[in-house]
Amino acid sequence: MSELLEMRGIEIQFPGVKALDGVDFTLRAGEVHALLGENGAGKSTLIKCLTGVNKMDAGEIRLEGKPIRPTSPQAAIEMGISTVFQEINLCPNLTVAENIFVGRQPMKHHQINWKEINRRANELMERFNVHIDVTRPLSYYSTAIQQMVSIARAVDIDAKVLILDEPTSSLDENEVKQLFAVMRSLKEQGIGIIFITHFLDQVFEMSDRLTILRNGHLVGVYDIHEITKLELVTEMIGKDMNEIFNLKRATVAEDAPIMLKAEHLGAPGKVDDVSLHIKKGEMIGFAGLLGSGRTETAEMIFCVARPTKGTVEMNGEQLKARNPLDSINHKMAFCPEDRKRDGIIGDLSIRENIILAMQAKRGFLHPISRKEQGEIADKYIKMLSIATPDAEKKIGELSGGNQQKVILARWMATQPDLLILDEPTRGIDVGAKAEIQRLMLEMCNNGVSVIFISSELEEVIRCSNRILIMRDGKKAGELGGEFGTNTQSEILKIIAGEGASA
Amino acid sequence: MLNTQPKRRSLLSRILNPKYIMVYSTIAVFLIIYIVGAIAYGGKGFTTLRTFLLLFSDNAYIGISAVGMTMVLITGGIDLSVAAVASLTGMFIAYGNSILGIDPFICIAFSIVVGVGLGLLMGATIHYLNVPPFITTLTGMFLARGVCSLISRESIAITNEAIDALAGWKITFYHLVDGQWEKIKPVATINFSVLLFLAMIVIGAIIMQKTRFGRNVYAIGGNEQSAKLMGLPVARTKVLVYGFNGLCSVLAGVAYVLYVKSGWNLALQGGELDVISATVIGGTLLTGGVGYMFGTLFGVLLKGTIPALITFNGTLSSWWGKIATGALLLLFILLQRAVVSGSERKKKV
Repeated sequence: MSELLEMRGIEIQFPGVKALDGVDFTLRAGEVHALLGENGAGKSTLIKCLTGVNKMDAGEIRLEGKPIRPTSPQAAIEMGISTVFQEINLCPNLTVAENIFVGRQPMKHHQINWKEINRRANELMERFNVHIDVTRPLSYYSTAIQQMVSIARAVDIDAKVLILDEPTSSLDENEVKQLFAVMRSLKEQGIGIIFITHFLDQVFEMSDRLTILRNGHLVGVYDIHEITKLELVTEMIGKDMNEIFNLKRATVAEDAPIMLKAEHLGAPGKVDDVSLHIKKGEMIGFAGLLGSGRTETAEMIFCVARPTKGTVEMNGEQLKARNPLDSINHKMAFCPEDRKRDGIIGDLSIRENIILAMQAKRGFLHPISRKEQGEIADKYIKMLSIATPDAEKKIGELSGGNQQKVILARWMATQPDLLILDEPTRGIDVGAKAEIQRLMLEMCNNGVSVIFISSELEEVIRCSNRILIMRDGKKAGELGGEFGTNTQSEILKIIAGEGASA
Repeated sequence: MLNTQPKRRSLLSRILNPKYIMVYSTIAVFLIIYIVGAIAYGGKGFTTLRTFLLLFSDNAYIGISAVGMTMVLITGGIDLSVAAVASLTGMFIAYGNSILGIDPFICIAFSIVVGVGLGLLMGATIHYLNVPPFITTLTGMFLARGVCSLISRESIAITNEAIDALAGWKITFYHLVDGQWEKIKPVATINFSVLLFLAMIVIGAIIMQKTRFGRNVYAIGGNEQSAKLMGLPVARTKVLVYGFNGLCSVLAGVAYVLYVKSGWNLALQGGELDVISATVIGGTLLTGGVGYMFGTLFGVLLKGTIPALITFNGTLSSWWGKIATGALLLLFILLQRAVVSGSERKKKV
């Protein structure tokens, strides 16, 4: 069968890492092809290569047999490759109709023909079975409609290849159905759709074939009937056995007091009814795919995001005035997922970054003296063996692992009872990973409770006393006790929705 | 639910489209203040056509500049250099004509080259070097002001026949008495600056509503990143908007010269703030993406009504004008916030 789009031997080199290494990808006309892989697997790099955002270092792309080399999103669009991103890339202030036609408005007597724009936009939306007033501003409508409008725009520009990057992440069930109906009708028109999503159920519902990437490599291409969910998840996450760690799990006494008790936490669209408790000195791992509600649950416990339902108790005391500062005052600490954006302040020194949370906790009326700051910083630099000449170096100049250590130090300095670590080991090398895990376990042994969120199952299994598994915003299961060799596959089963809730 | 909207659009619902709400508020407030003025000072002649047209001629230079400013604000930018550039235009004309003896229209042409050039340069700096518009145009303002003072630190009178003729030219309305125009006491006059002001508003409105360029300006203000990803010529549009604003600043300078017939390095100090506040009162969002030339027209009139009222009162200090303008500005900014957050909250479908 002839291929609509062929990408062969794609290689992309970023400073320090090979983002894509000899990846092949093909797309047929009238097919929905899912592109799968964990974060950092190279999905978006591949898409960016196809849409001309990233330049490829090697490889070739053929569209309908002809070699192409898109140099910008605009060039790609002109070739017939349109992308609809997860975030709506439209203008909220313009009308629905105008969003579809801006930049290529039909003209009449050198003037924009508004009648024609509105008529054609209306026709397009009708074809999608979306009955709206296209002359209203886009911001008037829900995300689902906005998503449809983006697709309408993408398709109306004579698209041959339509890339849908996480199109369903902000849609509810009905809206997803509507979107799928649109996708099916586009399929019938012979458009090839590349479908990127974290929702495996949707992959199995919509796709004809799927391609799995891991660490910039092609893992496999399958017909949808050839693969089970469990196999798929295993392929996506993979196994990395060469890391040598020698860590011992924290020991929690039977009668250890309960440190945190969260009950029925929930917020619409994010997390639904999650309850958990953590004992003093215990480490709980959160497992689940990205977007499964891992981070969202942690954010609700620390109250970065305010839950609409449920209660949180810390040391037996129910938390009332819910905001992050209140959480800090109740001896919680939270290292967010995106270190660069939410963690470090790149232009400040290590010392300043370390004392931040401590100063926030004390209030600005009680400044920490410069001398004290220096002492604290030096203490943690030594304790966590942060590789830096002194405490005055800008944190932005440190390596990822060392930045993470500084963030850890920031929260250790507040002497927390509960430490929430969201992906603390992402994007840092193996040695630093092991060190950070050692530090986490050390803190457990000193009586700190830890919530450890990671996409790498192995490290979650290695360190945690109990593992809470999330799927689609719900608690899908919990494993405790001794973990054996089959723990990983048990967790994978639960993630894939095939295992029973434990 | 996806299918809740009626798709037929009645004329009424088109007129009541929520996107015009800011313009309607401006017109409503203008009418209220005008009516209040009419009730209080109607007897002193506040309601005459003459007074009404004075609103135009007294504020023509602000209005001309506000046309460009509207465009700049819609992109999400700001331009602080407008008054300085207008003042520079005055200096070029005054110095060029009165001291160097150059034809004033050559001076105006030269000013246009300089003003548009500076605008394009600032636009390019803002877009390509990613310098915030506030900083870039602040620099442009100091630059233009500096050149003004370099040319002369004293006011230079303009005594040119052509300029006098242009300043004196007007369309006059007379009373019609017994089928005869009574030429002694004209009812009202419209001068060149007013025509220029109205022409610029119309030209601006056509650009914004009827051309792709204008729609790109709105798109950039709505979401610049999206505009880029939609394949719109963001760089070119932004640079041209500042260039166009430079042209408006120069034309505003010409109108001001016709008004005062002199060039002075310190003329129009703080005028950029008058222009910006008139534009914002006219319903243009400071955050970009929303604004109409028609609204700007009423913004200028509304802002001009206040000093007129104070003049008619006769006892109030003119500083009350500033206070009232401040209050109006605050009102409209709060209104904008309310409209924006309101439309975010009640997403219908």
